[in-house]
Amino acid sequence: MPANKKYLSSPGQKVLKVSAALLGGYMVTSALHLFLLLFLDKKTVLVTMFFSTYILWAVLMIFAFLAKSGWKIWGWYLLISLIFFSPFLYRMLFR
Amino acid sequence: MNLRNYNIYFHTHTISGIIITAVLYVIFFAGSFSFFKQEISNWQKDTPGAVNGNLNYDQIIDSVGRKYNLYGREVSLYSQPHSAKVNVYVSDSKDTVNNKDAGSFFYLNPQTFTMQDYQTSYDLGEFLYRLHFLAQIKYPVGYYLAGGVAFIFLFALLTGLLVHWQKIVSNFYIFRPWEKLKTVWTDLHTALGVISFPYMFVFAVTGAYFLISYPLFTKPVTATHFNGSQDSLYAALGYGGHDFELENKRVGKTIHVNDFVKQAKEKWGSGVSINHVEVINYGDQSMQVHIAGLADMKKKFTSSGELVFDAEGNILKHTDPSASSSYTDVVQNLIYTLHFGSYGGYATKILYFLLGISGCVVIISGVLIWLVARDKKNIPEKKRKFNFWLANIYLGICLSMFPVTAAAFIAVKLNPEGGMSYIYKFYFLTWLVMSILLVARRDLYKTNRDCMLAGSLIGICVPVVNGMMTGNWIWNSYKNGYHDILLIDMFWIMVSVGAFICWRLIVKKHEKNAALTPATAPATNVAASL
Repeated sequence: MPANKKYLSSPGQKVLKVSAALLGGYMVTSALHLFLLLFLDKKTVLVTMFFSTYILWAVLMIFAFLAKSGWKIWGWYLLISLIFFSPFLYRMLFR
Repeated sequence: MNLRNYNIYFHTHTISGIIITAVLYVIFFAGSFSFFKQEISNWQKDTPGAVNGNLNYDQIIDSVGRKYNLYGREVSLYSQPHSAKVNVYVSDSKDTVNNKDAGSFFYLNPQTFTMQDYQTSYDLGEFLYRLHFLAQIKYPVGYYLAGGVAFIFLFALLTGLLVHWQKIVSNFYIFRPWEKLKTVWTDLHTALGVISFPYMFVFAVTGAYFLISYPLFTKPVTATHFNGSQDSLYAALGYGGHDFELENKRVGKTIHVNDFVKQAKEKWGSGVSINHVEVINYGDQSMQVHIAGLADMKKKFTSSGELVFDAEGNILKHTDPSASSSYTDVVQNLIYTLHFGSYGGYATKILYFLLGISGCVVIISGVLIWLVARDKKNIPEKKRKFNFWLANIYLGICLSMFPVTAAAFIAVKLNPEGGMSYIYKFYFLTWLVMSILLVARRDLYKTNRDCMLAGSLIGICVPVVNGMMTGNWIWNSYKNGYHDILLIDMFWIMVSVGAFICWRLIVKKHEKNAALTPATAPATNVAASL
């Protein structure tokens, strides 16, 4: 049988959650790895990225769909990626 | 289990799965055949016997040198495991004044030293290999589409595992082939899905890495950490070292690549096979010879040895393939080894093939569960119609691949030198026509039944046609030790017999069902038509 409708999101929430899953999840994943590259051994991180990026991103997708509110999960994902990306943002703006 | 979470896993698993179905099936089906890429090539061209690293490099470079002035070029000679030919790449020369002819990629037969370009030597092995990442669609659209599907597949795998998590042990032992069809598919889907989960997980991750890493992760990393220079990124990964200036002074003596290879063999011992020899800035004083080798798989799971000489024969760099590898070396090699199934010989490849085909079964049974679960009275007629058509089109495209691929084996045997355009025309046209016919019939049961039967009947002809065309009947191949040709013939016999048994079971089951439920069927009554 199909999943029970009462647990599924409204259309507006769906758009938010799908975008948070794909785009937000990607932003957090890449920002985190770029951040790690700053102070860990570059080659180790780069090689680990071969698989860690996709696994992390897929897990973040699941969290996005589990979230109560699409707005909230977008907020979290934006905040986290902003924190990890801030060194690069700083460099882009002030150097 | 938390009921809300369960329903979310269920729903996201269903939706992500149903979106990627057709493409994923093509990837799995063509990919399963790709494990035997070289064997299919050798079978089609009737060139038994692999090169296995015992090449006369001097003679090869000699014959390449008759076609190209090699001075200042990069000459790369690579032989894939089980291949009967050498992949040759000749770059443009760095001496842009005196040596202007453009370089190229081609294949060389190490016995006859004849060369053949990519288009004309294109074979069914190459075709199926490229089909499995949709390379026939304009670059990079096909690559990215296949990579995106691989990633969504990873998501579907994880959510699928979460759905079944609580019953993973108890359901593992449940298989009820004599129950109604919906139950059979559900059992198939979960049991095979769980068994092949680790395998599919590896393929989802590595597949995504091969195809979409470049735009998604390589580019941002290059921009933020390597000042936009991809070369320095590759250098950090240990890939570079191929680009250095020409000195514009010729080496006085003749170059004997065989001597360099011999030195490498002496250093590494007989267990190591040389798979790649490159000469950079050929004939110049800045020349370098790179020799790459792999340790015996029985001794070491992943390895990559490299020996670099300068023009004088001094060793510039040495990595012993048998020495212990670092974490990064292992990962860099493993990602290929695991995806290509290039360890453990034919046993691994056959197992991988079976797991790949069970992936196809999981995909199709998933679609059928999805369809039947929605074929209820409370679902609006319009939606049910849409669902039926989607499943109808998916099944038509997917299942027809089996007889079409079998027919393609016969087609290339009748015309082994047809090259790229012949294979494209034959494969895509028959596939299109067959899909349209099956979809137009609007009968999922008949689609399934007839594809099984057609594939099995055409498949059994494959070894027969091969025997008639080349005289390499299976007993002759066996006697002469043509393992690769024998493998493909035996493979089709097994597959055909298997498919024939499936066909019998499908028909029997259907007849039994039809006897039990008299046809009250409106046009969209899916359960009756299956």
